[in-house]
Amino acid sequence: MLRVLFKESLFFAWQSLVANKLRSFLSLLGITIGIFAIILVFTIVDGLESNIRGSIQSLGNNVVYIQKWPWDFGPDYPWWKYMNRPVPQYYELDDLQKRCKSVEALAYRIGKRKTIKYRSNSIQNAVVAGISHDFYKIKNFDLSSGRYFTQNETDAGYHLALIGANIASGLFPNEDPIGKEVKIGGYKAVVIGVIKKEGESLLGISFDYQIVTPFNFARYFLDPKSENSDPIIYAKAKPNVTNAEMMAELTGILRGLRKLKPMAEPNFALNETSLISKGFDGLFDVIGTAGWIIGGFSILVGGFGIANIMFVSVRERTNLIGIQKSLGAKNFFILVQFLGESVMLSTIGGFFGLLITYLITLLGKDAIDMDISLTSTNIILGFTISILIGIISGFIPAYSAAQLDPVEAIRSN
Amino acid sequence: MVRPKIITFICIIGYLSVVFTFPQVFSPQIKKLGVLMPAIYGILVAANFIACVGLWYFKQWGVQLYLVSVFAKTLFYLLVDQLGFGFYSNIVLSVIFMIILLRFFPKMDPNL
Repeated sequence: MLRVLFKESLFFAWQSLVANKLRSFLSLLGITIGIFAIILVFTIVDGLESNIRGSIQSLGNNVVYIQKWPWDFGPDYPWWKYMNRPVPQYYELDDLQKRCKSVEALAYRIGKRKTIKYRSNSIQNAVVAGISHDFYKIKNFDLSSGRYFTQNETDAGYHLALIGANIASGLFPNEDPIGKEVKIGGYKAVVIGVIKKEGESLLGISFDYQIVTPFNFARYFLDPKSENSDPIIYAKAKPNVTNAEMMAELTGILRGLRKLKPMAEPNFALNETSLISKGFDGLFDVIGTAGWIIGGFSILVGGFGIANIMFVSVRERTNLIGIQKSLGAKNFFILVQFLGESVMLSTIGGFFGLLITYLITLLGKDAIDMDISLTSTNIILGFTISILIGIISGFIPAYSAAQLDPVEAIRSN
Repeated sequence: MVRPKIITFICIIGYLSVVFTFPQVFSPQIKKLGVLMPAIYGILVAANFIACVGLWYFKQWGVQLYLVSVFAKTLFYLLVDQLGFGFYSNIVLSVIFMIILLRFFPKMDPNL
């Protein structure tokens, strides 16, 4: 019985929407824009967050970076304290490897932007990195073809290179790069492997535009003592060791290596990936909140629009309500009829808002090489907001319609 | 019976609280709690609003729905561990309002 009641009420509601198509469309426009604004912002923020966290994840949560500058992005960054610090040196890697018990792997890296050439093709501003052999233990190299360096090749500084996917497609559009010679900073290097495509990374740590060489070769064209080469020592903790424990041990060893006095401040920075996450958390919160406020006002306006149209609809159909009631329709039937109309209107508006968001994410995927897609969470959120705004906006008009006296209703003009 | 002024006051407070709590349904903070949390919180806000409409029309079902929505909201905040000054002041106000509403309950219209 209840099911028949609902079905009939919704049928009346649908008929009313279809009878006034233009009015229905204009009413749901506010909801469409509101849902579109909120869900688009949430989708973009989720996509950016996922990209950054994925990039950070690829580096590993248990990796500590020994650098000159700390990753402190606050407004009171005391840069003058860090200017005269020395950069991490390659020889420090050996000492750390011998003395540090809590690390599973240590690696050294320098890097700089340079032009890479192959015959008449060239790529400018590619990142050229010189790494120690154990770098693959820190950052796992997924190779689409070829192989990684051997220990001997790294130690001897053979003129070899691993190239990123975009470099491979740019320099070798129609041939296999393996075995070919490229020129880096005037030096020739043989390509022995191509790194699998990783896609855009907001942190700039994607290997697609990088060329990786053994450190002892890279030092010919990159100065490891210069800050411009951004020297970093990576330390990966053993499985049962926390970052804090490893950092404590590294601090003690480095202070000894650099002959720092007991009360002197450290002249090195130990950075963790969690600092990057924390830095971005605030940014994402701000973007999400801004989108929420903008979209929230749009939805509020849309809700008032629906409420207004429902009052008009009730006024127009007062006679009809009176006739329905006099034929035996219960208050609940009238309530469901108008509430159903309001919810249908807002849900259709929400659907169009989600559809526009989906189309924009499809266009965006082609424009930027990043995975931004409409998740099921955001779809559920979009429909939830639509249904709720429909209920809240439409309840008062629907209830006032349900309370009408049938005689007065039939009599009204 | 004409709606007493105190009920009108409670309804206005209720409507204002809906205006301020409805935007939180799709806020990033609620979204972070879980996939279905915005939907659940939204239902509670909608129930609160509908209860206020019922009270405005001086209906008994309004009081009943108000009681259920207050209880459900309190449970929600306890489960998601969102306790603070707002939570406790909300409980105190809700208890006071419930006492007032139950006092007028026998005089309200029992019909829909």
